[in-house]
Amino acid sequence: MVLTLVLAPLLLVVLAGVLQLGALRVAAARVRAAADLATLVAVNDQDEAELARSGTLRLSPDAVDVAREYFARELDLSSALLDGAADEIAGAADVAAYASAPAYDMRTGARYDRPTVRIAADVPVRTPVFGALVLRAVTTIHVLSVSSPR
Amino acid sequence: MKRRSTVAVFAVLLLWSSPALAWDPFREDRLIEPAPPERHPDPDPAPFIAPPPGIYYVTDTYVADVVTSSGPVTTYSTSTIHESTGSYARVLDTVGTGASSAFDGTAFNGRRALGDGRSVAGTYYENYVLGAGGFVPVSVVFFQDDAETARLLAATPAPHVVKPAPSVPSTPSATTRPFPPTCCAARSVPTIASPTPAPPKPIRPGISLLPIGAPLATLEVLRGRAISLWPRAFVDDREVPVRSWTVIAGDPGEALVTSGPGAVPFRTSWRRLAPPGAAYEVVLRLEVDTADAGRRIVDAAIAVIVRSPALDD
Repeated sequence: MVLTLVLAPLLLVVLAGVLQLGALRVAAARVRAAADLATLVAVNDQDEAELARSGTLRLSPDAVDVAREYFARELDLSSALLDGAADEIAGAADVAAYASAPAYDMRTGARYDRPTVRIAADVPVRTPVFGALVLRAVTTIHVLSVSSPR
Repeated sequence: MKRRSTVAVFAVLLLWSSPALAWDPFREDRLIEPAPPERHPDPDPAPFIAPPPGIYYVTDTYVADVVTSSGPVTTYSTSTIHESTGSYARVLDTVGTGASSAFDGTAFNGRRALGDGRSVAGTYYENYVLGAGGFVPVSVVFFQDDAETARLLAATPAPHVVKPAPSVPSTPSATTRPFPPTCCAARSVPTIASPTPAPPKPIRPGISLLPIGAPLATLEVLRGRAISLWPRAFVDDREVPVRSWTVIAGDPGEALVTSGPGAVPFRTSWRRLAPPGAAYEVVLRLEVDTADAGRRIVDAAIAVIVRSPALDD
């Protein structure tokens, strides 16, 4: 009886932590998918005039705006998990479009051999159980997504 | 009593205990000595495709037919430029002066005729491009190599043929004698070679994405994206109308029609990516109206690289 009274709260805490950790991983996957989809959409939008002139694929001039817009749209589908508005999170994201190649990413140091769109964002996700366990109530997920036509 | 019973039960359990070895899923793998891994040679990312016998890599490219005249001699030759366009060629037929060939009429630059109407001598070559499916014939070109001597002897007055007789003095002197009239002046009617027709100017075919866009040799398109390819043709820097076009080689993609009039573009899209490093070579045969040579046939080729957006690591 005493053992049960002692162990039950501990088991509940462990169980809650595990569930919160799983939820956090699901949220991270959704955020990552949102960024991936946004970069893919932006790369799929090509500069038609440049294509007709030179025959080569080049990113549309508004590729950054397109990526940011679709990132916000996709994050909005997971708004219940976020600790902030999707528009604000997407607006604060570091979105870069490298219209011509080769190019070097000053943030990551990567070299891009094709026209590339890159999103780097910090997405705050609510973790109330962690907050109740004297941990952080908001966990920030760092997401980096890079896409190019190949 | 209870305490003794409990101790006895624990003692029995301890005596009966045995190591509980968990099932090792890899136990059998360890017993079997792993065979040395077979060393497969690394796949060649761009396998070399040897050209079939008779086909060689082109290092001198056709530029234009050249007709030069030096006095009575007219020479028919072909100018080339030492450069490689990545194409291949093979000899189809070598023909002599006046001889007919099964390939007459197939060359995009035609085969000229001498002043007397006979066809010039030369060699027919067939050009190939190396596509995903192997060597694809794209065009036939005739390299002329001939000469003729025009019979222009009478065109310019020869000093010994006809000379107006000077006024004959009443008493011929020993130093001045009348030039005897040639006996055959009446029969020696000079024949003047018919003038060589001006060579037709070479047609420069091309394919563009817009009706007035720049012709493209290579095109990158996204997978599944519909595009319109406009067949074009130019003589010098002037565009000439294209009457019709037909896809004669290469992968036409998801095209609904593979031929049409010149006012309608070739609309298609590709759903499959070409192998890495390769491209779809599409060849269109154009029927072109030219002001100087009438209707002619030329082939226009374009290399299409299909790409797809992808995530990078």
